[in-house]
Formats: sequence, structure tokens, C-alpha cells
Amino acid sequence: MAKKLSGMRLVNLLLGGWSGLVFLFLYIPIILLIVYSFNSSKMAIVWEGFSFKWYTALGHEIADHVSGTKRSPLVESAINSVIIASIVTVFSVILGTAGAWLLYRYKFPALRSITTLVYIPMIIPEIIMGISLLIFFKSVSLTLGFTTVIISHITFCFPFVLIAVQARLAGVDPALEEAAMDLGATPMKALFLVMVPYMMPAIISGGLMAFTLSLDEVIVTYFTRGPTSETLPLRVYGLAKVGLSPILNTISAVFIAVTVALTVAAESVKGLNK
Amino acid sequence: MNRRLFGLIFLLGIVFGCKDKPAPTAASASPGPSGSGAPTAEKPKPGKELNLFAWSEYVPQEVVDGFSKETGIKVNYETYASNEEMLSKLLAGGTNYDLIQPSEYVIEALVKQKKLAPIDWSLVPNFKNIDPKLKGLPHDPENKFSVPWMTGTVGIVVNTDKIKDPIKGYKDVFQKKYKGRIVSLNDSREMVAWALEASGLKSNDITTENLAKVKPMLAEWVKLVKVFDSDSPKTAFLNGDVDIGVVWSGEAALLYQNNKKFAYILPEEGAHLFIDSLAIPDSAPNKVGAMMFMDYILKPEVSKLISEKFPYTNPNLEARKLLTPEQLANPASYPPAGERETFRDIGKISSEVDKLVTDLKASN
Amino acid sequence: MTPTAGLPDTQGAQRAPGLRGWLLMAPLLAWLGAFVVAPTLIMLVYSFCDRDELGQVVFTFSWSNYARVFDPTYLKILLKSVYYAAITTAICLVVGYPVAYWVGRAPERVRNKLLALIMIPFWTSFLIRTYAWMTILKSEGPLNSLLLYLGMISTPLDILYTPTAVVIGLVYSYLPFMILPIYGSVEKLDNALVEAAFDLGAGPVRAFSNVIAPLTRPGIVAGVMLVFIPAIGMFAITDLMGGARVPMIGNVIQNQFGQARDWPFGAALGMTVLLLFAATFWLTTKKDPSAT
Repeated sequence: MAKKLSGMRLVNLLLGGWSGLVFLFLYIPIILLIVYSFNSSKMAIVWEGFSFKWYTALGHEIADHVSGTKRSPLVESAINSVIIASIVTVFSVILGTAGAWLLYRYKFPALRSITTLVYIPMIIPEIIMGISLLIFFKSVSLTLGFTTVIISHITFCFPFVLIAVQARLAGVDPALEEAAMDLGATPMKALFLVMVPYMMPAIISGGLMAFTLSLDEVIVTYFTRGPTSETLPLRVYGLAKVGLSPILNTISAVFIAVTVALTVAAESVKGLNK
Repeated sequence: MNRRLFGLIFLLGIVFGCKDKPAPTAASASPGPSGSGAPTAEKPKPGKELNLFAWSEYVPQEVVDGFSKETGIKVNYETYASNEEMLSKLLAGGTNYDLIQPSEYVIEALVKQKKLAPIDWSLVPNFKNIDPKLKGLPHDPENKFSVPWMTGTVGIVVNTDKIKDPIKGYKDVFQKKYKGRIVSLNDSREMVAWALEASGLKSNDITTENLAKVKPMLAEWVKLVKVFDSDSPKTAFLNGDVDIGVVWSGEAALLYQNNKKFAYILPEEGAHLFIDSLAIPDSAPNKVGAMMFMDYILKPEVSKLISEKFPYTNPNLEARKLLTPEQLANPASYPPAGERETFRDIGKISSEVDKLVTDLKASN
Repeated sequence: MTPTAGLPDTQGAQRAPGLRGWLLMAPLLAWLGAFVVAPTLIMLVYSFCDRDELGQVVFTFSWSNYARVFDPTYLKILLKSVYYAAITTAICLVVGYPVAYWVGRAPERVRNKLLALIMIPFWTSFLIRTYAWMTILKSEGPLNSLLLYLGMISTPLDILYTPTAVVIGLVYSYLPFMILPIYGSVEKLDNALVEAAFDLGAGPVRAFSNVIAPLTRPGIVAGVMLVFIPAIGMFAITDLMGGARVPMIGNVIQNQFGQARDWPFGAALGMTVLLLFAATFWLTTKKDPSAT
């Protein structure tokens, strides 16, 4: 008995250690980025000395933008990106989860084809997707702007949610749903009160993936945006020509710090995991 | 999922969807008279918004803001990172842009396809500030369609701390002893042009035979290069990963500003000039506003701002008078004068050029 | 007799869709139709066209683009892209699975936080992250400095602009997309099953291969798909961290819409990749989708 327990504990310890290393790996460039946000040089890659100047510059820019004094394209694009990504995530989660559920629930000859279609946005090269969506939007006379960007993002984000949820549904015990209905729940209630909670970890995974993909997408966004809908990654791409300014590191560092703080401090959001 | 939250976000979606109802691109009464018509007696009115489609960071924010302040026209500045990117969005039917910023060979191609609107010079009197040597060039021989923005050259940068040998031309750069220390532009047309020049041919003389002739030389060159980078070749220099390379003069100028050890040399076999200009697409909704913008940036004090951010060669002679001696002394920004060719539009053979370099890279 | 043999059969939940089913699926189908099928068809049409001087399509029918796709250079490039994608997927799987497992077995209140923490680094711009990696790996960078200081090497390692750097960059970018789907499957693992395996005397290795791995198989497959497929088309990482020395199929396609001015050929290449995938997927997926 003790042997088994210590065996499992050892395994857990090893797994924890490994995970710690992986987390370190994931955050190494972030640490560097934060360090370089204090770079006094105006080119991000050449370290010249320690300075807070980019933080003060960013602070001023944000203050000016928020108070309406001076519009900051950088801040505006950052806000746009977050808003777009949030909307995209919501719709991708709905579309992806519903899709996964329906493809699991129903069986019909075209099922395999539809599933294949879902994978297409993942394999199609971004430039082709961007250009063909642009042509498509033009042909249906849809003006380029936030809507078109959001539509394009949802299109390549929702497959990630769908596939993640599908994996979770595979091997689910059908007795789960049957039991709920035996106890008097309508199919709809059974769905929302039993199956959705069951799928939740995968929904969250999928949602996180969708948000990430949308936040950092460049090529398709380039083709489907309108003149007033700039996103942060597009802005960053442009700045590479002159040399990435440390202010980009600063804004990234601030963003990371805020999100990590929120994540760690947040109350456990849902008890829906089980 | 919390229904209220969902509803709120759905509403946000609709709000933002409505945000981009077609902007008032309705140009005024007369969207710019065509070149052939007689100029109207009354000054034509511009539209309220200007869609500027230009290289990222090529148009300083102060310039944009200054223009808006002076004219009351709102400028939407959309960016791209290469001519081809611009072209692909423009041709796929992007938003109606009022101004684009193509390089010379792209202007030539667009003019051939009748996709540019002629300029009414009465609205752009400051055009007189432009260096006469940059007028009447092959891509726009009658000066009908473009206003030069910045010009530059493509040349050799050497870290003179690391390399003491004299470097005079392409052949000196691509030597076996520098293997793994070379940076090159990631541009198949450029590389082919250099190979042609190094072989005594003209850089625009791109034919299947000539491509075959320079193939062996290019194959050798490709093996020696450590980094191919068109976006920011200075990075490799600053990181100490390369000591020599062939890059845009603007990059070289930025390197020189950072440290004078980075020398800029124009290859003796021949160097070409490139000119980025403003042009107005045929489908522009606000042609008058576009021309007003052109006139605005041709003002010496405005052009000076552009030079400060972007140390390329300023084509505006009046603006050059306002630059500091240090700026003018930068050998990459203002190289010794000389007769240089510009790139011509090569049409369909561009795909052969691309295939050649792709092949060579892939066989490494 | 495998331990999972006694688990319930999952086919029972499926039935043919009635009218209601089709109505429920309508939004999904409509979305697919409008924003996936339609644009793909546009590209399909383009791939059979000729081009004009600017590279745009001229509507005359021709097979020539597809004929060019089968040039040895492009096939070699395609193979190389698949190869890199495969290596990336394999490494991500080995590196990521333990993490997914650990997070899945972590206390409930921290699981979502851990997931978020895994993703947060990727909420910075790709370019900034990649430049950060380039700064770390360069010959005068912190990694080399550290190794030199520790005396582990005598001259700086030449990592940046080599295939090694590319693989590091790829694994870094795709790792979360392996961990998160696997987590979905691990999370529902019944602790009792794992303990039972140990009770019956299985060591960790056997417990894994006979119990845990088969039960988490759908997650593994999902993770593999979500990494391998997008990785085939990637090119930005080779451009930056590999110094753009080795063209990937993504680069080639990009160039056709760029310098090479040959949209129809680009469309043909894209279609070929798509069709290859679709065919492979179609053939390897049984008609029964729940048994992935």
C-alpha cells in the first residue's frame, strides 16, 4: 500500500517537475521581453541601458488616448484586437461546441464530408484564405471592416473548438444523458445541465485556443480589414521595418502582467468542471 | 454560459458591426478633374476622409496629423510591408484606397494596366521642389501619375571592425571566406539583378537565357548566405550574426546612425536606384483629397519630418536644405551621385525569377 | 482482454437527424457553405485559369498550373514541410502530454488558471516573441553567454538560422495546441481506473500504455491534428528563425501571390495541399466518427 502511494507520489512529483520546466520554456521569451522593455535604446534588439522611459511614454500615450487628447494608433489597435478576439471567441465557442455536439449526436451519409470541411480552414494557407475571403466579400458587397475581420477569424477559430470538444465527447457514456432524461429532464435541459458541463473543460480549452489565434492573426486580417480596423499584430508587423521599438515590449509586458495577475487572483470561475 | 453575458457580447458584436457602415467616402461634387480636361475655375472640394495605403512607418504620425489639422480631412492610414502585398490586396478588390505608395516598377505595371489616375498638377504646385533628375523616368515618363516619396539604392554594408579587406562589388561580398557571415535581401528579383550586374549584363535584361547564364553564380551565392531578410536586415548586423551583406540604403543608414563602423558601398558592377512614390488608384473615391495630401508632403518642412524618421534619400531639394549636416553626411542616405538604372516592370517572367531562386534555396 | 473492454459502447447515442436535426445544424452548415466552401471554390476556379501581366487571373481553362505542381522542386519542398510538421508534432506530443496530464490531475480550482497561464505567453505578438527567441539564441545572446560562462562550451553555439532554431520555434509556437486538447481527455479520467491499475500491480509504464493512453486517445489525436495540420503551412518561423534559407510550401504559395505574380499557380498549389489532406483524412476516417 505504502509502495503504491509513494510510487504515485513520485510520478506526480516528476510530472510536476517536468511541467515546471515546460512552463519555464514557455515563459523564457516573455522574461526576455520584459527585461528588454526597460531598454533605453530605441531599437528593441540592441541593449543600451536600463530605463523606465518606455513605461512613461506608454503611460502618457494611454492617458492621452483615453482622455481623448491625442489618438494613439498603438493603443487603439490593442483595444481593437482584444475586442475582436473576445467576440470571435464567443461565436467560435458557440459554433464549435454546437457543431461538435450535433456531429456526435447525428449520423448521416454526409457526416464525413462535413467533418472534412471543418478541417479546411486549418489546412488552407492563410494567404489563400485571405484573398479568397476578400474576393468573396467583394462579390457579396460586404464592406470591409470589423465585421469582415470577425467573420474571417471565426471561420478559422471555430474548428479548433469543435475538434477539442469532439475529442471530449468521444467515449462519453450515453448513460449520462439517458439518466438525466429518466429523471424527468427534457432533452434541452439534459443538454444544458448535463452535457454542457461535461464538455466544459474542452470548451474552455477550445475557447482559449480561439482567443489566442484571433489575437495574433495577421495575414487574413490584413486582407479583410477596413481602413479603420487595425489590430495590434498588424501594427507590430509594420514596425519591424524601422526596427521594433521597445515600446512594443512594454505594451506586451504590461498586457502579460495584467492577464497573469487577473488569472492568478481570480476566484475559481466555475464549479462546472464536474 | 451566462446568458446575460452572452447577450451583452452579442450586442457588442452588432454595435461594432454597425461601426463600419460605409464611411462617407462620397467624394464631393467633382472628385478631381482628369488630366485631359481643362482645370475648373473653382477649386474642387475634397471628400471628408482619405484612405492612405502605404508602407508601414513610412508616413510619420506627425505628417498625418498635420495634414488632418490643416485640411480637416480625416486620414485612415492602412499599411503593408511590401509592394506585392499592396498589389494583391488592391487587385483582389480591397477598400477603395485614395493613395498608394508603389515602387517604380509597380507603377509601370499599374500604368500599363490603366489602374492609376492622372494627377492634376494645378492642385500639387509643390511638385516643383522635386529633383529634376527624378522626373521623366521610364516608369512615368510624362510625370502624369506619381509623386516621388523617397528614393534609395541597394548596396553593400560592411562591418569594418570585422572585415578589413576592401570591398568594391558583389563579387567581393559573395566570397567563400565570408560563408555564413552574409546577409542578403530576401528578394529573388534583387538577387537576380545583382547577379546580372556582376556578370556584366543589365539588371533589367531578364530573359530565360540570361537567367540560365547567372544560375551557377547565384547557386554559389545562395550557399554562402546566412540570413535572407528583406524586412529588417539590420537586425542580423546588430546581433553580430553577420558582417557583410547587400541591403536597402535605408537599413544601411540606420546602421550607420547606430555605429559608424557600418560602411556603405555601392557596388562597382552597377547599383540600381529605387523610387517609392505616391500614386492615386483609378478607383479612388477622394482624388482631390489625395492630391492635396501630395502637395502637403511636398512642403519642405513636412518632407524633412519624413527624412528624420526614415533616412532614405529625400527627393525634395528644398527639404534637403533643411536637413542637418550629420544627416546629409550619412553615406547611405546621400551616396555619391551617379547614373543609375531603376527597375522596369518585367511582367510574367517574374515567376521564372521566383522559381530560380526557390530552386536554388531548396537544393541546399 | 484490455481493461477498457468493459466500458460502454458509445455508438448508441447516434441517430439519423430528423427535420429538427437539420434545422439545428443549419447555422453550422450555412457558415461552412458561405465562408469555407465558397471561398475555396473561388480558389479552385482560379487554379484552372491563366494569368495576366500583373499576375491576376484570366478566365481561360488550363491544366498547366497543376502540371507545374508536380515539378520535383515543389514536391521536395512539400515533403520537407510535412517532415518539419511531423517532427514538431512528435516533440510537442512527448513534451506536452505530461503537462496535460499533470494539469488534468491538479486540484480543480487551479486547472483553468494553469491552462490560461499556458496560453498567456501567446497573447503577445508573434513577431515580438520570435524576435525574443532570436535574441536569446543568437551567437552573442544569453544562452550562449550562459553556456560559455558555465564552461560547457568554448565557442558560441551556432543555433540561430539553423534547422534547430526552426524546430525550437515551431515546438514553442504549437505546444499549447497539443497540451490543451489532451487536457480535455485527461481531465475526465476516472481516478479509480488509474488506481485500480496500480492496485493490480502495474508499474507506471504499463499503467500508462494499457490504461491511460487508450483512454486519452481522442485527446491525443485531436492534439496531433491541431498541431500537424497548421504546421504544414507555416513559413514565418523558417523565415525568421531559419533566416529564410529553406523555403517551405507556405513560402512558395505566398510568393505566387507576391513577387512571382502567378495567382493561378498559387491557387493550384494551395488546392493540391488541401486535396491531399482531404483525401488522406477521408480515407483514414471511418464512417463512424465517434471512433476517431
